[in-house]
Amino acid sequence: MTNDALTAEAVNQANRPSAEELATRRKVIEVDSLDWSFGTRQVLFDINLDVREGEIMVIMGGSGSGKTTLLRHLVGLMPPLPGKIKLLGKDMGALSRMQLLELKRRIGVAFQFGALFSSMSVSENVKLPLRELTDLEERTMDIMANMKLEVCNLSGFGHLMPSDLSGGMMKRASIARAIVMDPKLIFLDEPSSGLDPVVSSALDDLILKLRDAMDISVVVVSHDVESAYKIADRITILDKGRILACDRVDAVRNSTNERVQNLLHRRSEQAEIDPTEYLRRLAGD
Amino acid sequence: MANPLKLPGKIFEGIGRRTVAGLDEMGYAAAIFFEAIYWTLTGWRYRQPVRITSAFASMMQFGVTALPIATLLAATIGLMLAIQSLYSLGLFGAEQYAYIGIALSVVREFSPMIMGILIAGRSGSAIAARLATMSINQEVDALQVMGINPVRFLVSPVLIALVLMMPCLAMWANLVSILAAGLYVSAQLHQSFGAYLNDTIDVLKTGDVWHGLGKATLFGVIIALVGVVNGSMVQGGAEGVGKVTTRSVVISITLIVVADMIFAYMTTK
Ligand SMILES: Nc1ncnc2c1ncn2[C@@H]1O[C@H](COP(=O)(O)OP(=O)(O)OP(=O)(O)O)[C@@H](O)[C@H]1O
Ligand SMILES: [Mg+2]
Repeated sequence: MTNDALTAEAVNQANRPSAEELATRRKVIEVDSLDWSFGTRQVLFDINLDVREGEIMVIMGGSGSGKTTLLRHLVGLMPPLPGKIKLLGKDMGALSRMQLLELKRRIGVAFQFGALFSSMSVSENVKLPLRELTDLEERTMDIMANMKLEVCNLSGFGHLMPSDLSGGMMKRASIARAIVMDPKLIFLDEPSSGLDPVVSSALDDLILKLRDAMDISVVVVSHDVESAYKIADRITILDKGRILACDRVDAVRNSTNERVQNLLHRRSEQAEIDPTEYLRRLAGD
Repeated sequence: MANPLKLPGKIFEGIGRRTVAGLDEMGYAAAIFFEAIYWTLTGWRYRQPVRITSAFASMMQFGVTALPIATLLAATIGLMLAIQSLYSLGLFGAEQYAYIGIALSVVREFSPMIMGILIAGRSGSAIAARLATMSINQEVDALQVMGINPVRFLVSPVLIALVLMMPCLAMWANLVSILAAGLYVSAQLHQSFGAYLNDTIDVLKTGDVWHGLGKATLFGVIIALVGVVNGSMVQGGAEGVGKVTTRSVVISITLIVVADMIFAYMTTK
C-alpha cells in the first residue's frame, strides 16, 4: 500500500461513523431472511442484512458466493418476495407497478461493465433517466448532466461514445448516470475490477466524495480487499450463499474466523491438494 | 446409437420438447405484444409515454431507408409477372387479359409477401441483433433499474414503426409493380399505357387492396415480435448474437409464408 492510500484510509477511518451512531440512523436497506434458488440449486441462504443512511457497505466473497445474485435482488432485477427486502422503508414485494417505478427513481445502479448505451454519447447516457423520467427542459438536463460528469471527473468527455472510453472512464460514466437523479442509495458492482491500482484508488476517492458530498448510502460489491478497507464503514462477507461476517472494518479485519481470513488474504480453501485424490477426480471415479 | 429401437421414442421426445418450447415462445411473444400495446396506450399515465421521436427514427430506419431496395424489388417483380403472364396467356391467345392476373396477384400476394421478406431480412435481423447486444451488455437491466420499462422504451417504438411502415411499403410496391408491369405489357401489346392503367383500376376492388395491406400489417407485427423475442433470448457473447439474428430471420420468413396462406384461406372462404 502506498503512503497516499494509507493516509486516505486513515482519514476515512477517522470519518467513519461510530457503531453507536450508525445504530441510530435510519435503515435504507433491510433484508429479512432471504433465500433464493436457481431451479433446485440454492444460492442464497437466510440472508439478513441492513444498511444505514449514509453508510458505505462493501459486500465481499469468493467467486460464485452469490454477491451478484444478492445485488440483483436488492435492485429489483429478481422477482421481489413480500416481506423480504425493504428499500428506503418500502417493501419491494408489496409495491404496485407505479410505486416500484417511483422507488427505482430514487436508487442508482452502476453495473460491472458500465452497461452504457452504446448507441448514445456519454452525456446522452447520463441524461437518459432525466429525459425519460422527468419533464425537465433540455438546458436544465444539460446542466444537471454536466454537473454529474464533473463530479465524476469526466467534464469535457460528454461528447464521446462509450466505445471511446477507457475502463476507468466507463465506470465513472456509469456512476455519473447512476447519480444523475440524485438518488439516496446507489449500488456499485465491482467498481475496481479490471482497473490499475492508481485508477482504482481514484475511484475509491470518488465513492467517498459522493457519500460525503451528496449524503448517499452506497452498497459496493467488490473483490478488492484494499479498496474495501479504504472505503467501507462495514463489510459483509458472503460465503457459499451465507453471510459469514457482517461488521465494521476493524472487526472483520481482525476476525479470528479462519474462513474470513482466508478470503481476505486470498488463500485457497484447499491449499493442500492430495495428488492421488486429484488424479482420481480427473479420472472421474 | 446403442439401441435403434429406442430411436422413435427419442424422436417423439425431441418433437415434444420442441413443441413445448415453441409454445413457450409464442406465449412470451404474445405477452410482449400486449405489454407493448399497453404501454403505448397508457404510458403517459406512468409519465412514461412512448416517444414519438423514437418511433419516427425507427420508421426512417425500417421504412424510408428501405425505399430504394423496395422499389427495385417491386419493379422486378412487376416485370417478372408481366413476362410470365404474357407467356402463359399467350398460349391461349388471351394476352389482352394479362392485367387481371398481374393486378390481383401483385396487390393481394406479391407486394405484402416480398416486402415482408425484405423487411424481415433487413430490419428483423437488426432488431434481434440490437436487442441481443443490449441484453448481453446489461443495457436492458440498466433500463429496468432506472425504472424505464424496456418494453415501452425498446419494443413499442419498433412495433409502431413496423405496423405503420409495412402497409406503406406494400402500397408503394403495388404502385411500382403495376407501373413496371404496365410499361412492359403495353409496349409488348402495342397498347396505350393509360388504357392498361384504366383496366387495372377497373379490375381492382378496394377489398383486394385492403387484403394486401392487412397482410402487410400482420407481417409487420410478426417481424417485430420475432426479432424482439429472439433478441431477448440471447445467450453467450457475440456468437449468441449471430445465432439469434439468423434464427429470427428464418423464423420470421417462415411465419410470414405460413401466415400468408392462413390469411388467404380465412379471408377467401
Ligand atoms: N441465471 C442463473 N441460473 C442458474 N444459476 C445461476 C444463475 N446466476 C448465477 N447462478 C449461480 O448462482 C451462484 C452465485 O452466483 P453469483 O453470480 O451471484 O456469484 P458471485 O458471487 O457474483 O460470483 P463472481 O464473483 O464470480 O461474480 C453461482 O454458483 C452461479 O453458478
Ligand atoms: Mg458477480
